[in-house]
Amino acid sequence: MGFLDNLINGISLGSIYAVIALGYTLVYGIAKMLNFAHGDVIMVGGYVIFTLMTSLHMNPYLSVIAAMIACTILGITIEKVAYKPLRQATSLSVLITAIGVSYFLQNMALLIFGEKPVTFTSVISLPKITLFDGQIVIKSETTAAIVASVIIVVGLSLFVNKTKSGRAMLAVSEDKDAAQLMGVNVNRTISLTFAIGSGLAAVAGALLCSTYPVLSNTTGAMPGIKAFVAAVFGGIGSIPGAMIGGLLIGVIEILGRAYISPQLADAIVFAVLIIVLMVKPTGILGKKVSEKV
Amino acid sequence: MKRKLRPTTRKSFVTYAIVTAAFIFVEILVSSGSASNMFKGLLVPFCVYSIAAVSLNLTVGILGELSLGQAGFMCIGAYSSAIFSCAVKDTITSPWVRFPIAMLLGGLVAAVFGILIGIPVLRLRGDYLAIVTLAFGEIIKNVLAALFIGSDSKGLHFSLTSQGDLGLEPDGKMIINGALGISGTPKDSTFEIGFVVLMLTLIVLYNFINSRTGRAVMSIRDNRIAAESIGLNITKYKLITFGLTAFLGGVAGSLFSHNLAVLQASKFDYNLSILILVFVVLGGIGSIRGSVIAAVVLTYLPEVLRSINNYRMLIYSIVLIVMMIFTSNATIRGFFAANLAKLKGIVSKDKTAVKEGN
Amino acid sequence: MALLEVKKLGISFGGLRAVDEFSISIEKGELYGLIGPNGAGKTTIFNLLTGVYKPTDGTITLDGVNLTGKSTIEINKAGIARTFQNIRLFSNLSVIDNVKAGLSNNYRYSAATGIFRLPKYFKVEKEMNEKAMELLKVFDLDKEAELPASGLPYGKQRKLEIARALATEPKLLLLDEPAAGMNPNETAELMNTIRQVRDDFDMTVLLIEHDMSLVSGICERLSVLNFGQLLRQGKTAEVLSDPEVITAYLGE
Repeated sequence: MGFLDNLINGISLGSIYAVIALGYTLVYGIAKMLNFAHGDVIMVGGYVIFTLMTSLHMNPYLSVIAAMIACTILGITIEKVAYKPLRQATSLSVLITAIGVSYFLQNMALLIFGEKPVTFTSVISLPKITLFDGQIVIKSETTAAIVASVIIVVGLSLFVNKTKSGRAMLAVSEDKDAAQLMGVNVNRTISLTFAIGSGLAAVAGALLCSTYPVLSNTTGAMPGIKAFVAAVFGGIGSIPGAMIGGLLIGVIEILGRAYISPQLADAIVFAVLIIVLMVKPTGILGKKVSEKV
Repeated sequence: MKRKLRPTTRKSFVTYAIVTAAFIFVEILVSSGSASNMFKGLLVPFCVYSIAAVSLNLTVGILGELSLGQAGFMCIGAYSSAIFSCAVKDTITSPWVRFPIAMLLGGLVAAVFGILIGIPVLRLRGDYLAIVTLAFGEIIKNVLAALFIGSDSKGLHFSLTSQGDLGLEPDGKMIINGALGISGTPKDSTFEIGFVVLMLTLIVLYNFINSRTGRAVMSIRDNRIAAESIGLNITKYKLITFGLTAFLGGVAGSLFSHNLAVLQASKFDYNLSILILVFVVLGGIGSIRGSVIAAVVLTYLPEVLRSINNYRMLIYSIVLIVMMIFTSNATIRGFFAANLAKLKGIVSKDKTAVKEGN
Repeated sequence: MALLEVKKLGISFGGLRAVDEFSISIEKGELYGLIGPNGAGKTTIFNLLTGVYKPTDGTITLDGVNLTGKSTIEINKAGIARTFQNIRLFSNLSVIDNVKAGLSNNYRYSAATGIFRLPKYFKVEKEMNEKAMELLKVFDLDKEAELPASGLPYGKQRKLEIARALATEPKLLLLDEPAAGMNPNETAELMNTIRQVRDDFDMTVLLIEHDMSLVSGICERLSVLNFGQLLRQGKTAEVLSDPEVITAYLGE
């Protein structure tokens, strides 16, 4: 495989990370919590699509929409049941709860779908793009991932900056109490954030499983963590940051796998994260915060 | 007249007594033949997880910084001690000499890594520190899983790709076989040694907490700005704490590796770090005794629940969520506190002193 | 030579000039007041003096040593200790441990000595306990020594903060609104304590305060700050009768 092929694969994977990272970054920005279960919502999305397509022979695109609805409901439910009672608790308590939710989703999936991974049928049926007389072939999944991530980033940026609900999200992320005093419904805004994040997770699930068609109960865990790394990398809370971080992580991972060592690709990704945070402790596009004395 | 013990001293002595009593109880169970094989197999892990949890509690509860990298330090300790024991098992035949050196070495190597990683990383706070320590643990796991080391008459050979790449002589011996790990580590770990190491760990931790250094560390946890204003060197104290956590994590890893026929890096993934963090949190942040109890109970429970294998992790996760909501939600906690107070007519003074290290 | 010599101190946050051309000279053993309306920049000056903020202009000299641009930790070691407007205690530590934390830099033994309980540990800990109890007695806190600091009533928390600051054996003590939230009786008692600290410990004190009874009762000299700039400086009685100062406080 040539360098360009690897680069394209990296961008493809990076676009998927970016979509997941957006969910992370939104939730972190607004609820100030590390939602460890986010990756597992991706897995749930994957299984919903898989079940609808194989058991009910539903149209792939309708399956994706159904999965988005399912994950949105799941996200809101998780927030209401597990996270909302902990609004005032320490971040450590919230983190452990999120880990509990993650284990719950993984083991629920294990009970329902069993240990054996299933083979996922791609939801994308676009033609591939062939360039330079077949020198470079861009798979339809790659095109879909890139297009979807760009649409989502642009759409989310517009939503956050231009709509009333979006601005409410910004207000809550700046200062929850002040936003409350200004008449923003904080609980509704947090629910909305979880809804959007989880809906995006379903899209990410569709893209991830279409590109790497093996689905098991732990499919979402590692991509979830890497996407969080991407969000931190780009500067957590920043929408463009999540996109940049996702793309960089994806490209570094694929190039590392191809040119350095397949076993060490993950180690390289994590090492780059540590180096970036050493140089810029709040990530590439992150804001500096200081404590008032 | 009886000398009055300070509350902190009393707490540590109660913990020593509980652990010793539990040890004697288990010894009686085992020697009377009433312990199952499953239970006997868990004895060393009880010690390993207890040590790993109390030492992590030093960083999480006493220093107040979140670390998800404990598995990484355990991994370093496990590997370096196992390599040492494999290398010297023909020269030093007595496990009574070999194993303490191996554990000390495992701890020291882990501590060196702890301080090296701590220097850049401890500037970060909260969730950032959590993700970076997680990243560190994953790096250690991945690198060790990709590492091949062999020795022959020409000395040591290293490779990050494959066994063949080492170019060993026919009589050469593999030490680390990539993802297959290390086999042939002498089984030096016993429950008795585990108990002794656990007791030493507890003594070290309690003494540390109740010393000038421990006080400085807790001051930093409680109020960093005030700690700076009285001239406490934040970085130094953070590094000492992180280094000690890494050292003891490495010792736990050494105990672990000398209990296994085959040692693989993949066992030390972030889920292990999370598991140990869960012990710390459910045992009570900052409570040394709680960490030990939680580590033992939560290691034992899933094994007991093996008969309902498919449901046990599900139950575990639900217990985790419910516990967190019940212990952290202000309304629910207030409700219980109020009713308990009514029932007993007293409010326990211990509640407020919990973070001081009971 | 004055103990604290501050010359033309200034700092800007973005475009805002929070403190400008602030100069002050405090003699050893003096009780000096820094007053001014809210937002005048008083706490900012404390933050500059203790290295929390680095000044954009000017110099700070303590006992002949230039402290400009030094870190909080270095400045404390050089001899400036402070309290905070919003109390910052080590709330989970006991009262005595709060003071012993303050003693850390002057009563030393290594982490290893502590872990292995070497003889030096017992010797130094005994000295620390005695010294800490001595300090607590001054502030009438000795009976609460083993209580958690968070369990103290508000007024005693403020006193404990002063005791902790004194434990670092400073040359200059900065008190940021020590009487805030106290009733007149407590304030009167606090005034006596501050005087006693000055006399017994040979201390120099610079304090920020809104309570005029405290300021006029114990401060020998005052500096008045308004909009980040010095409005007036001099003997307490003179400053407080200055029409300009009265206007700044009461408005037109």
